[in-house]
Amino acid sequence: MQRNKIWNLLVPILSILLAFVIGMIIILCLGSNPFQAIGYLVKGAFGSRTNLANTVVRSMPLIFTGLCTCFAYRCGVFNLGGEGQFLCGSMAAITVALLIGKSGWWVTLIAIFAGTVAGGVWGLLPGILKTWRGLNELITTIMFNYVATLFMGYLYTTALREGSVPQTAPVPEATEIGRIFPGLRITWGIVVALVVGIAMWYFLFYTSKGFQLRAVGLNPTACRFNGLSVKRYMLAAFVISGAVAGLGGACDILGTQFRLISGYGSGYGFDGVAIALIAQLNPIATMIVAYFFAVLRVGSTTMQVGTGVPTSVVDIIQALVIIFAVAGTAAMHLPQIRSYLQTLGEKKEAN
Amino acid sequence: MNWSTISEVLISAVRMATPLLFVALAELFSERAGLVNIGLDGLMSFGALVGFLVCYWTGNPFLGVLCGALGGVLVNMIYAFCTVTLGAQQIVYGMAINIFAPALASFIYRIVFGVSSTLAQATLMKTVAIPVLKDIPFIGKLLFDQTPMVYGVYLLVIVTAIYFNRTKSGLNYKAVGEYPKAAETMGINVVLHKYVACMICGFLAGMGGAYLTTCYVNTYSDGIVAGRGFIALAAVIFGRWSSSGVLIACLLFGFFDALQLRLQVGTDLIPYQLFQMIPYVMTLVALTIFGSRISGPKSNGKPYFREER
Repeated sequence: MQRNKIWNLLVPILSILLAFVIGMIIILCLGSNPFQAIGYLVKGAFGSRTNLANTVVRSMPLIFTGLCTCFAYRCGVFNLGGEGQFLCGSMAAITVALLIGKSGWWVTLIAIFAGTVAGGVWGLLPGILKTWRGLNELITTIMFNYVATLFMGYLYTTALREGSVPQTAPVPEATEIGRIFPGLRITWGIVVALVVGIAMWYFLFYTSKGFQLRAVGLNPTACRFNGLSVKRYMLAAFVISGAVAGLGGACDILGTQFRLISGYGSGYGFDGVAIALIAQLNPIATMIVAYFFAVLRVGSTTMQVGTGVPTSVVDIIQALVIIFAVAGTAAMHLPQIRSYLQTLGEKKEAN
Repeated sequence: MNWSTISEVLISAVRMATPLLFVALAELFSERAGLVNIGLDGLMSFGALVGFLVCYWTGNPFLGVLCGALGGVLVNMIYAFCTVTLGAQQIVYGMAINIFAPALASFIYRIVFGVSSTLAQATLMKTVAIPVLKDIPFIGKLLFDQTPMVYGVYLLVIVTAIYFNRTKSGLNYKAVGEYPKAAETMGINVVLHKYVACMICGFLAGMGGAYLTTCYVNTYSDGIVAGRGFIALAAVIFGRWSSSGVLIACLLFGFFDALQLRLQVGTDLIPYQLFQMIPYVMTLVALTIFGSRISGPKSNGKPYFREER
């Protein structure tokens, strides 16, 4: 058991290292100095107070979409719709904020609530299609993502457009989510993210409902025979994971982005999936990996300016991490490797 | 809407259905061997890039399509190794491909053309009209005045149907997806079949992607695939895992895509985004009505371990 835990920790760390080595080889092939590039990346992420704050700001939406994936997958629901649910949260929040106008903190609360509900509803739809018609959520959630993205396009080009540029008006200043430290862009949204993450961790691993939810994910047939309503748990997983993503969207638009523009939120959903998979569906680890992703993203901009290496090298490194991490975890479960590890352990005990 | 508009929409529907059909057939071959591959979008985007680059450098779209297909095979081998040999979860790996391949494609594009560059354009594949047949009114223009890729894909549908239903090898292939253990005891090499399935899947999906950049538009941009891989996935379910069903499904989805393009031009009153939603919404509607509770190959999505009891 103890050894398993060590391997569970070691596999992602080795994957990250291996992915970085390959990333550095790619940089070397492009004719840049990889150590210099990594130096720029670190400087860009941790070089100053502002940069450090930016990594925290950048990690906030990723934590939410990562937790969204994490919760759904624990119940055996492959929700790929984090992006659509996130966008629905942002759209609902900004619509409420703009309609009510500048009136203070209670509008912020209503807007956040609206965002959470919108995300939950957007998660509920594929949930209904799955439990009622047996439709594969992998396909339906992706379709709903495209619908949400296009609807956002409608909002910023037509319905809520302001001026000649296709974008919405900014959220009124009075309804913005407050900043924790003056001068830095970190908002209370990050606190919300951490609270949600810890609550999710507690719920999944220390409550009986959370245990049942995970049981449904591991073996739905056994759960049905034990009298659990599998459908109800799956629907709940859809709604809650959608609501978490929606809450993230609301916090992001009210605290960081302030207006809907073209390309807003794109990639957050799949990043969330990658993060949750690397974190092996553990909420606490999800938050750590999300921060790591944010560091890569913020640092890579400085790296691009400094060395001319495109930021998309970071995307490749990220993808390699998940390829290695999942392959490593799967390999650990192969009968041959398992027995090898066992003999290794026995030898140690014999000594 | 008059006669010429309708025929225009139908011609464009055939054109839009072609990439879907390539990719849906790719998925059909994969799932018939028990491998659910949701990484189609990723395979397509890599195929699209390779196809575009080769076409841009050599000016030969056919070479582009071939290389795009080989690129798809290359990327799908990662999936094959991890799911078949290591027994990793197929859904998770498909997702990994979906994240990895577009990132790689966009990275290579930026390396080749620089971070901020003007739009590079390549030559498009020309249509080849089949003499005599093309002069049949209405149908002639619709079916016999297209690119060779279109003819190729319809030929492929027929070949696939014959292979799976009329040949011994095809039945063996299907057995791998239905009950691999029984297949193995009958002397069928399951692992080999699964690897071959991944090669075919990568090849066809890469081809579908390359079609987008060699026959449909003459540029490459990130997100050019726009979820077509997932629509193809839906087409396989909708078409009930048969090549004729897949053909009908793809033509239907292609029609919705063509329709939304046509409608966008038509009006100013309704925002164009609502039309753009049509293919996605109709995929959902079609699945809701027809696609429920039909199970595909029995061992679809399950890892196979030879030694396992």
